[in-house]
Amino acid sequence: MTRNGETVKWITARRRHPLAGYAVVILALALFGVGFAALAPASDEARAQTLSAEAPSPEDVDAANGKAIFDQTCASCHNYDGSGTYTDEDGNREMTNGPDLREVGSASVDFQVSTGRMPSMNPEAQMPRKDMVMSEQDLADLIAYYDESIRTDDMGADIPYDVPDAAPERADFEDDESYEVALEEYEAEYDAYIEGADDVDMGMKLYLTNCAHCHSWSGGGGALTDGRWAPELHDSTPREIYEAMVSGPGAMPMFSDGVITPEEKQELISYVKTLQAEPNAGGIFDLERVGQVAEGFIGWTIGLSLIIACAIWITAKQRAHD
Amino acid sequence: MTEKNNDNNEAGADERVVGTPTDTTDVVTETSAHSESEHNGPYLASETHKRPEEQQRRGEKFASVWFIIAFLGGIGFLVSYFLFPPNAAGEPAIADPQIGQYSNMLLGGTLTLAMFAIGAGMTVWARNVMPHYEVASPYDDLPSSEEEKSSFSEFFMKSADESGFTKRPLMRRTLILAMLPLGLAPIVLLRDTGPMPGDQMKETRWVDGMRMFVEGTHRHLRAEDLENDPNGMISALPALEDDGYPHGMSLTDQAKSVILLIKVPEDDWKPGMDTPVREGSDETHMNWTHQGIVAYSKICTHVGCPAALYERTTHRILCPCHQSTFDATDAAKVVFGPAHRPLPQLPIGVDDEGYLVARGDFNEPTGPTFWEYKD
Amino acid sequence: MSKTTQAPKALRGVGNFIDDRFHLAKTGEKNLRKVFPNHWSFMLGEIALYSFIILLVTGVFLTLWFKPSMLEVVYDGSYERLQGVPMSEAFASTLHIDFDVRGGFLVRQIHHWAALIFVASLVVHMLRVFFTGAFRKPREINWLIGVAIFSLAMVEGLFGYSLPDDLPSGMGVRILQGVMLAIPLVGSYISMFLFGGEFPGEDIITRLYMLHVLLLPAILLALIVAHFMILWHQKHTQYPGQGRTDKKVVGTPMFPAFAVKAGGFFFFTFAVIAGLSAFVQINPIHLFGPFTPTSITSGLQPDWYMGFMEGSLRIFPNSLDFTIPIGNGYPIITAVLIPGLGVMGLLFGALGAWPFVEQWITGDKRAHNVADRPRNAPTRTALGVGGIVFYGVLWLAGSNDILSETFSIDLYLTTYIFRVLIFVGPVVGYFVAKRICLGLQRRDRESLEHGYESGIIQQLPSGEFIEVHKENSDETTHVLESKPVITSTALEEPETDDKGVENPNARKGMGKFRRALAHWYTKDNVSFEGVEAHTGHHLHHGAEDKDH
Repeated sequence: MTRNGETVKWITARRRHPLAGYAVVILALALFGVGFAALAPASDEARAQTLSAEAPSPEDVDAANGKAIFDQTCASCHNYDGSGTYTDEDGNREMTNGPDLREVGSASVDFQVSTGRMPSMNPEAQMPRKDMVMSEQDLADLIAYYDESIRTDDMGADIPYDVPDAAPERADFEDDESYEVALEEYEAEYDAYIEGADDVDMGMKLYLTNCAHCHSWSGGGGALTDGRWAPELHDSTPREIYEAMVSGPGAMPMFSDGVITPEEKQELISYVKTLQAEPNAGGIFDLERVGQVAEGFIGWTIGLSLIIACAIWITAKQRAHD
Repeated sequence: MTEKNNDNNEAGADERVVGTPTDTTDVVTETSAHSESEHNGPYLASETHKRPEEQQRRGEKFASVWFIIAFLGGIGFLVSYFLFPPNAAGEPAIADPQIGQYSNMLLGGTLTLAMFAIGAGMTVWARNVMPHYEVASPYDDLPSSEEEKSSFSEFFMKSADESGFTKRPLMRRTLILAMLPLGLAPIVLLRDTGPMPGDQMKETRWVDGMRMFVEGTHRHLRAEDLENDPNGMISALPALEDDGYPHGMSLTDQAKSVILLIKVPEDDWKPGMDTPVREGSDETHMNWTHQGIVAYSKICTHVGCPAALYERTTHRILCPCHQSTFDATDAAKVVFGPAHRPLPQLPIGVDDEGYLVARGDFNEPTGPTFWEYKD
Repeated sequence: MSKTTQAPKALRGVGNFIDDRFHLAKTGEKNLRKVFPNHWSFMLGEIALYSFIILLVTGVFLTLWFKPSMLEVVYDGSYERLQGVPMSEAFASTLHIDFDVRGGFLVRQIHHWAALIFVASLVVHMLRVFFTGAFRKPREINWLIGVAIFSLAMVEGLFGYSLPDDLPSGMGVRILQGVMLAIPLVGSYISMFLFGGEFPGEDIITRLYMLHVLLLPAILLALIVAHFMILWHQKHTQYPGQGRTDKKVVGTPMFPAFAVKAGGFFFFTFAVIAGLSAFVQINPIHLFGPFTPTSITSGLQPDWYMGFMEGSLRIFPNSLDFTIPIGNGYPIITAVLIPGLGVMGLLFGALGAWPFVEQWITGDKRAHNVADRPRNAPTRTALGVGGIVFYGVLWLAGSNDILSETFSIDLYLTTYIFRVLIFVGPVVGYFVAKRICLGLQRRDRESLEHGYESGIIQQLPSGEFIEVHKENSDETTHVLESKPVITSTALEEPETDDKGVENPNARKGMGKFRRALAHWYTKDNVSFEGVEAHTGHHLHHGAEDKDH
């Protein structure tokens, strides 16, 4: 007799057991749980590594290294001059794979590279957030080279160095002490930026009327057309949110400093970051703050199933000699 | 289902399986029997299955444990209530979301425990202490007998005739007549629940020369603010300051007046922009833009959600509720989804000081499409 | 155990006091002896009853602080994050319940979870009643009352969802108003009168509050009481079994066992709802922020029971809209009217009409107290499954943006998929369910003839392996044998009478239609005719049978 046969026999012999009903319910619950876990978006672990709180001074950056990086990792799509086009044999300029970088500004470059979206292997597809492929220093060099040699007339937005970026990472420091100092410094800077905003109503209105229709009220993201999506903002640093607003990555429209001033942007960013950091007053499970769809799902699967399991217990048949 | 084959059925032949009453007459109709001294239930002792004393004692013990757990849960609930103070003297206690979460989970957790334990205790009680049996009882014959029916109908008709209601039509009809206006009264009384639609649904707060501000701020927007936004978008409201509302105007006015300002690169406009804004009008949709900036109503013409999801690459304006999609470069024509008509457009320009202003009201009523919107 | 059958003196006193005034001893005993059949699926309606009680109790608690007012105030309560934000008093008072009233947050969450469970249990209860044929005579009226409770529960839920005046709740009202406006001729009048002016106005929450806490609960309570009294009077249906017939019900008496079980079940229901409310955050209005008609969020959804309507609004195209060319033109907005009103009408209309349609098709005027096993009414079961698929597709379509984002499918593609599925899905569901029913019927017949597969494999002397079949219990045999024959009086009427004259009822119009329906309803069925229990060969431990 095969092992399979044994299993079948084992099940067959027990499926009429009075507790079989519970076993099925518990199994179903477990399956629903797994299903939900699979449905729920996995949190993106990627974190940007930028540390600099202010613009790096010229002696700290190496534009030559930046050029090397650009020619190696960017030029295949954007061309060596960042135009994204090349001249064919007849002298016509034709598109290559990538968009023209000359007018996008350094904020855009910083955003795309620091969130790991660039360099991209597939220019057609929307890039998810990933770990940055190069070091902080390499990015600074690249941006120095971009500002110096590729950018046209300072067009596009600059990097908002006064807006806090990601927290320092232990790996970038030689000893614990210097790391802790840097971390403390960073936290003070971050808190000052977030708490510097004092008009919740303005931040909320700006966020809900201009951002929430794509990124959702919780910053959880949402669907766009053609299979694209608006990314979730949980891992986004204040600086990345700022840069995204001024540069308009992908399908996102731009919100320049003229339309939403830096102070107003601070209110907006503070609103969404404070909201995301707030503990859930209603219990430890927030269902990813997806809202009503997840609530209905849990109500049916967990709620109703548990109640029905109780009903099965109450009404389970009893043998007379039990 | 398969009790017959149960090998561990050592209980002997007189034990009866649940749901299989014996052939004796319905126990319900019999009065209590006292023939067997050890069991005095309301039904025949041979029909009911008193649990062995040992099982009953075990059941009692288990049920009591559950009830004690429930008692402790209930005490815990009361303690949790007083554990977290309310927000007296400016000290946020449960208003702090973290503390609120602890409070919620402790109160709810203890309540759950108490409720579940009572339920479990009662179930153990019913299943282990009470004798177990099922009894049969007849379903009543629902239709009355023919005599009863004819007796009733005879009585009813005779009485009705006697009352004169059928024989005296004048009285009957005037009574019905008397009821009519009173029946209408409740409907008439509801008349003052709201005003007639009139033209108010077709008018908004925009007038020629009205400036606008970015929603949430009170800063008037200038055309040059969008200069660095080749692909900009922003939600804006009429710049009203003194309506006595925190945001300058009532929600009702906001719901009609809110606009989406979109900056479109010059080459991206589509031919639809050169059509007249209304039938027979000289003005085209393009005339109503200013330096590449176009203003559409933000309220979807389907059922009224804000259609705000603007994709700068495709120039689609999408409503996140039901996914009606409008083309911002083509006079907000519906390109997908259930909406009936394009988003209304607001004519815009600049005033002497360079501020963006409306040059009149929308070309069509904003909001969900309704019967008389074209009148 | 005490030998005395006399009640204690105190109890006797109370009993006599009541009986002297109401003459209740006989009625009382009869009702305490009322018999309730045992099955977990007979408890589903109780879940609804108990969650309704929980809703009433928690709702009363919430009204102690809730202010149904749309007056705009600047929040200065204890919840720090929203201090200084303009909002309606309704929203501010809900924040007060959440953050200033101890246990207020919990009770609000219990109220909301109980609402979700209430409507969900109504649905599963109705499905149980439908699939077992428990709506048949004499219980059609109670079925209609049930349909009314279901429809009112949805409206009641929608209004309650709208009261806190948070961002998604106001959008629910907005969509409701948009649907109203689409009604030809009178749409704008209805909207103006309900809202006291234009959307959102300053009256709607006050009015919805009155409907939510007074009018609708009163009607619901009255219907639930009527539902329960009818059930009590007619007695519960039962599944087939030995001794269970249309004339005789077998079960646990009301007192004491059933009362204790049902009481325990109330506490279980409360426990599960309280458990969810303690640990799973629901409808966090303080995080959503107050409603403004100009803001919107992605992934906006109604509570689950309105999801099917949301879905039908999403997938219905605008290509059927047209304009009546009188004057400036008057629009007929089918893309709102059909999904917004038509689908709901179809759902409740079909549910309400079915018992009468089925009775018309079969001509069955008998009273039924023994429930059908769903497989034994294959056409009805298949129709029910088709209906579930129809509802389910609409429900899923209501979350198409979340599906699109989660599974990275093009948003428009999901719409197209649902537009196809809404037609194909129910048809496939119908045929699959019917096949499964017939397959189960065949297995039943097999089991009746041969006994059940014991799971024991034996090797015969010839080397062949067989599975030993064992005899079914009498109970199982009885259940299998009691399979009703599905017939229709329409098919029993001869097409011609004995003189060869055509039967006019059968040849034209409704008569012909009814015959066609009767044929459709009865044709697929596995006949048990001539099958005798345990006459198959497998029972003789299989040694010599070769017929398979």
